[in-house]
Amino acid sequence: METPSGPSFDPPEGSIPWDPPSDWAPSPSPPAAPGESPRPVRVVVLDPDLHRNRWTVVVRLILAIPLVIWLGLWSAMALLISVISWVIVLIRGRLPESLVDFFTAYVRFSAHVNAYLSFAADRYPSFVGKPGYAVDVEIDPPSPQRRWTVAIRLLLAAPALVFSSTLAGSVSVPLPSSGDSAVSTVLDLSGGGILFVVAVFGWFVCLVRGRMAAGMRDLAVYALGYGAQVTAYLFFLTDRYPSADPACVLPPLRVPRHAIRATNDDDLRRTRLLTLLRLPLCFPHLVWLSLWSAVVVVVSPFAWVIVLLLGRLPRPLHRFFSAWIRAWAQFAAFATLVAGPFPGFVGAPGYPVDSHVDGPTAQHRAVTLFRLVLAIPALMLASVYSTALTILAVLVWFAALVTGRAPSGLQAFGVAAVRYQAQAYAYLFFVTDRYPYASPGLDEDEVPAAASLFGEPELTAAAAA
Amino acid sequence: VSRTQRWLVVGALLAPLWALAAWRIGQDVVPGDLRLPGVDARKVFGGSLIDDAARYERFFYVAWVVEQIVRVTVLWLYARKGVRFLRDSAAGPIGTGVLLGMLGLGLTWLSGLPFSVARLWWERRHGVSEMGYPEAVVGNWIALGATFVWISFALLVVMFLARTIGDFWWIPGAAVFTGLVALFLLVSPYFATETRSLDDPKLEAAAQRYERQQGVGEDIPILVEEVSADTTDANAYATGFGPTRKIFLWDTLLDGRFTIEEEQAVVAHEIAHHSSDHLLEGVAWFGLFALPSSYLLLLVTRRRGGMGAPEAVPLALFVTVVFYLALTPVQNLISRRAEAEADWKTLESTRDPAALRGVMVGFAETSLANPDPPGWASWLFDTHPPLARRIAMAEAWQARQP
Repeated sequence: METPSGPSFDPPEGSIPWDPPSDWAPSPSPPAAPGESPRPVRVVVLDPDLHRNRWTVVVRLILAIPLVIWLGLWSAMALLISVISWVIVLIRGRLPESLVDFFTAYVRFSAHVNAYLSFAADRYPSFVGKPGYAVDVEIDPPSPQRRWTVAIRLLLAAPALVFSSTLAGSVSVPLPSSGDSAVSTVLDLSGGGILFVVAVFGWFVCLVRGRMAAGMRDLAVYALGYGAQVTAYLFFLTDRYPSADPACVLPPLRVPRHAIRATNDDDLRRTRLLTLLRLPLCFPHLVWLSLWSAVVVVVSPFAWVIVLLLGRLPRPLHRFFSAWIRAWAQFAAFATLVAGPFPGFVGAPGYPVDSHVDGPTAQHRAVTLFRLVLAIPALMLASVYSTALTILAVLVWFAALVTGRAPSGLQAFGVAAVRYQAQAYAYLFFVTDRYPYASPGLDEDEVPAAASLFGEPELTAAAAA
Repeated sequence: VSRTQRWLVVGALLAPLWALAAWRIGQDVVPGDLRLPGVDARKVFGGSLIDDAARYERFFYVAWVVEQIVRVTVLWLYARKGVRFLRDSAAGPIGTGVLLGMLGLGLTWLSGLPFSVARLWWERRHGVSEMGYPEAVVGNWIALGATFVWISFALLVVMFLARTIGDFWWIPGAAVFTGLVALFLLVSPYFATETRSLDDPKLEAAAQRYERQQGVGEDIPILVEEVSADTTDANAYATGFGPTRKIFLWDTLLDGRFTIEEEQAVVAHEIAHHSSDHLLEGVAWFGLFALPSSYLLLLVTRRRGGMGAPEAVPLALFVTVVFYLALTPVQNLISRRAEAEADWKTLESTRDPAALRGVMVGFAETSLANPDPPGWASWLFDTHPPLARRIAMAEAWQARQP
């Protein structure tokens, strides 16, 4: 990798700049799907250490002010230059070397700043997008691009931009204002996405434990990776469309063995008629699940008392709640086009995107006593996941209507989103005392899930990195 | 005795009971010897209005006929090919049947969509409607969803009955269908949105007077539905029964184009629907027709495993739609009879034939309704007697007064 161009700043006093490890080298691309070439833009976790310096955590927002200001200025420059780049790439079919370096450094710096802000990384990033940061972006040298995709790049990028804004929003687009100042408004597409929620909860977790929750770190890395792909696509570093597949993160994201697990046997085929009529087709399930949910809510206080007394959920109640969770998850997958076939009404196993629920086990009474309070972060994250899932549903709806298939990346993320929500509900309704694991990874580790957000385990994959 | 003969005997026993029930429901208060005088529609409504209305309605006639042809063709194709959607279901047999039922309904909706848009275009062109096209298409999603829920529940009941009690499902099935229609009627007043209370003491006082005259036990709530943003058409309707019965007046009726006497006539007409139990009569008629239609379903779906099998659902939908399409003239006849009775009661209550006549002229002007359509068109399309005929009734009533 060449040294990126752009002004250089020294980091603020007291912070430690991250130097790449001496043996650092670009990572191999993530395994591509059959018939697909490796991804040209990939996010890499170079430093899997989850320890965070409490002092820098407390004042992280203040420490990040110079970074954010610099990112804003750089974003404005990038946008202006991208217009010129567009013309050049249209004529030449590829981006000039100098601009490649400029945009590569920008994409990398943007990811570094967001990783720092969301506690996915601890070290203070350099101001030039220097490679080798704890959470880094690797971009392959650009290849010739198809001119028609360049011509309508902004239009093509719109769906990815929308999805990116719900995840991370490493894209900050300066808008010309109507006033005298040429560039005075910045449209920040990150507002209130998953990364923001991760940053807020990550701040508390890091303060209490001095460690970031592994699942949340992985979720942040995933969001940053997607944002980086979108920015690189928008700024002509690649003409490969961004993939929302969690498998694009390096090293591959892994999740602990949880009592609620997702199975994904979906063939991505979507019948156009079912796609077109998806919304009204959901109405009977909505009515049915609303009634069922009302019963679940009424029964849950009794379940709480019983679990407090017995230390476990009796099997009939467990079966009742498990069936509801499965039925809800199947419906959510169908409604958001994460799965194709029309689901049943009773949560019977065998749906292509299904939730496996382990049998009843002993539960910590202390965790049970404060379950409602403990569940609040999980429910909030589930809500953000739900928003992302809604956006995803709209995008997949259009894609499936045109192609008759669901995009594999979005589908894979959808499975993870449904799984997280199912885990959150299972935790809330005493099916398990294992805390929902935020990572969108779909590969399962043997390490069991923790009972709280503050006790998430170290996974073997992280160690391997 | 063969199975067919057994069913024929049952049919022969049930037919007189059916006819007796139909005769009983069909009773009304309009004098049997009432002879309607001829009305010169061109003189009452004006020649140009009649010509304009005839031209305006001709489009709807053609659109309706083409729409029905398309709808039946689509459902026929669906009955033949719809089984392939079985692979799109991970639900059990009943859940799959529900899916196939909803898909059939969705196809019907989709096939009717271009005609809805065309009708709206025609209405907008003639200044009758001001609704936007996106609203007409997307605004119906919720209503479509509610219909999907209805058909899902109906299929759930039918398929469950067919799978548990076999060939006899059609008897309790017809009863359940009728119960569902009654339930829908009961809750339908709550579906109306954008309503406000009637703030007109004079009209309210008149309504209370008519309610007493027509023997309605308790006050019927009258609400104003705000539709003026979408249409200039003037209308009113009665809905619900028992504790939920209500009357809705469109705000376009109260915007000054009609006199207070004419507004009172409309209110009296809607009260008459409640006092004559026309809405419950409608449910009873539905029940009467549900029996033979359910039996027909039993017969035609046998080759596909009966109504308990999801494969039979597309065919059942096709047969049901064709059956009720064929019944359209009969349904219209029943509806026209009820409307005529309500008009008669209106005249008895208001004792103001001029007001009823004014309402009819007003309706013709605001909704471009043809006051004197051809007989075949009235037979096929009209749920209300033609406006000229309603004026004739007002004149006949007046002639009978001492």
